[in-house]
Amino acid sequence: MKLNGDDVRAIAYEARLSLTNAELEGAVSYINNFLEMAGRFKELDLKNVEPFRFAESRECPLREDKPEPFAQAPDILAARCAADAGAFFKVPRIMEE
Amino acid sequence: MRFRSMGAREIAAGVREKKFSAAEVFEECLRTATDCEDRLSALAAVTAEAGRIQAKRVDEKVAKGEDPGLLAGVPVVIKDNICANGIRTAAGSRILGDWVPPYDATAWSLLADQGAVLLGKGSMDELATGVSDGSAAAVAAGYVPFSLGSDTGGSIRLPASYCGIYGLKPTYGLVSRYGMISYGSSLDQIGPFTRSVEDMELVMRVLARHDPKDSTSVSKNEIFARRTNTLKGRRIALVKEFMDFSPTLDQITADAMKRTIRLFEESGSEVIEVSLPTVARYAAACYYTIAASEAYTNFARFDGVRCGRAAEAAGLREMFETTRSEGFDGGVKSRIIVGTYLSEPDCYEKYYVAATRVRTLIAEEFYKTFDADRIDCILQPVTPSLSGKIGELNLYTLTANVAGLPAFSLPAGLQIIGPRWSDGELLDIGLEVEKISGAPKIAYFLQRR
Repeated sequence: MKLNGDDVRAIAYEARLSLTNAELEGAVSYINNFLEMAGRFKELDLKNVEPFRFAESRECPLREDKPEPFAQAPDILAARCAADAGAFFKVPRIMEE
Repeated sequence: MRFRSMGAREIAAGVREKKFSAAEVFEECLRTATDCEDRLSALAAVTAEAGRIQAKRVDEKVAKGEDPGLLAGVPVVIKDNICANGIRTAAGSRILGDWVPPYDATAWSLLADQGAVLLGKGSMDELATGVSDGSAAAVAAGYVPFSLGSDTGGSIRLPASYCGIYGLKPTYGLVSRYGMISYGSSLDQIGPFTRSVEDMELVMRVLARHDPKDSTSVSKNEIFARRTNTLKGRRIALVKEFMDFSPTLDQITADAMKRTIRLFEESGSEVIEVSLPTVARYAAACYYTIAASEAYTNFARFDGVRCGRAAEAAGLREMFETTRSEGFDGGVKSRIIVGTYLSEPDCYEKYYVAATRVRTLIAEEFYKTFDADRIDCILQPVTPSLSGKIGELNLYTLTANVAGLPAFSLPAGLQIIGPRWSDGELLDIGLEVEKISGAPKIAYFLQRR
């Protein structure tokens, strides 16, 4: 199945992206090339194949699940986009949507 | 130009033994960078002020008789997607604006703890499309003896190969990614560029540490302890399906393959052919599915709220959309769009879940082949073409990321790929090859005349 410009604009809307005409052309070509390549998966019988995981993920040392002080919190708040929101991250009003 | 051709080990030894100071080394490397930058553009930022402070600290430790670390006074460049506290980090993207991270990436803090001195941030293309080209060029031109890059599908090995230096994509889990701006989280690895195998080993001994801040990090530092100083009896594999592409190889790469195969054979290694049909046919589709899905998730954090660029807008949707549309370039947008599409219910099972199952088949094919044929490493070109289009270049590199394998690119445009946690053995093999072929030289032609 090939996607057209309208399909790709609809997906871009979901991704919170707008596209110039050149970007749209590039994205249509990119996604259709991708879908053609990924169509190869149909050649395989994957019913009894487990999704991939690294064996060592079972060996990963786990730390105790408890809160710890995080010294950089004030610096991270200082680097946020809107710095005038006290101890919070500021977002535009959503009730207008 | 006293320090330009020196390796990291030699510089650190000289600083420790007070033959020269870290400040002297830093100032000369800074001059080299300044002389070459107008032609090379390897650096997204020069960190002269921070570097001078770090170099002074190393010299003070030496003066007091304290241990200045394994990398005492060694200048380094780190890719601009790896955070250093107080240094602007943009990952080649407008979306991060003038963001200054308030913390260090673990990889950088491990180097700094051992006395490394930051000379600058390596330039890169934007986020998902960005190979570690600046970090590689800075080492090739002799700004610094080593640098850090990141490799999601070949972004260390490709520029290392083009620049004629060494680049290591470590086993997935060996080096912490905490503080790196993620692209494909199950594929990304941080790794070094160097001009000698000896320096590669030194840097990896510093970087290979378990980090509780990266849940994929595994404690395996001991893999660099073993030493096998011979190529005799090694089993080196050529992948039949990738050798079938050899008529399309650039002549320079084809010649390098022939020379290196002969080198292994004359050194007593056995060169054999293996077949990896699933890897050859499905690895690229698997890689692009997983990379796009993970990029879509990772780049969702760039929303104009948490950090970086923010557009002025009255409503939430408009603010998100304007920030992201102005902040990302077309290549990144295309990848996000594919990832978004793959997250839709119809596509999730058909493509994303299928790719995770195909990935199991690919990894098993590698593991079984290494095991059954008792293979030390696979030898293959880094890229089928030195002048291919973007997207075609990484056909030979992405396989190691899909299976989480270590891959070491040699200066001749070739790479050796080994089983998981064979990073130390790959360096042993590389060292023996270097003893015969010689280490790469600095690209002096870049110096201003």
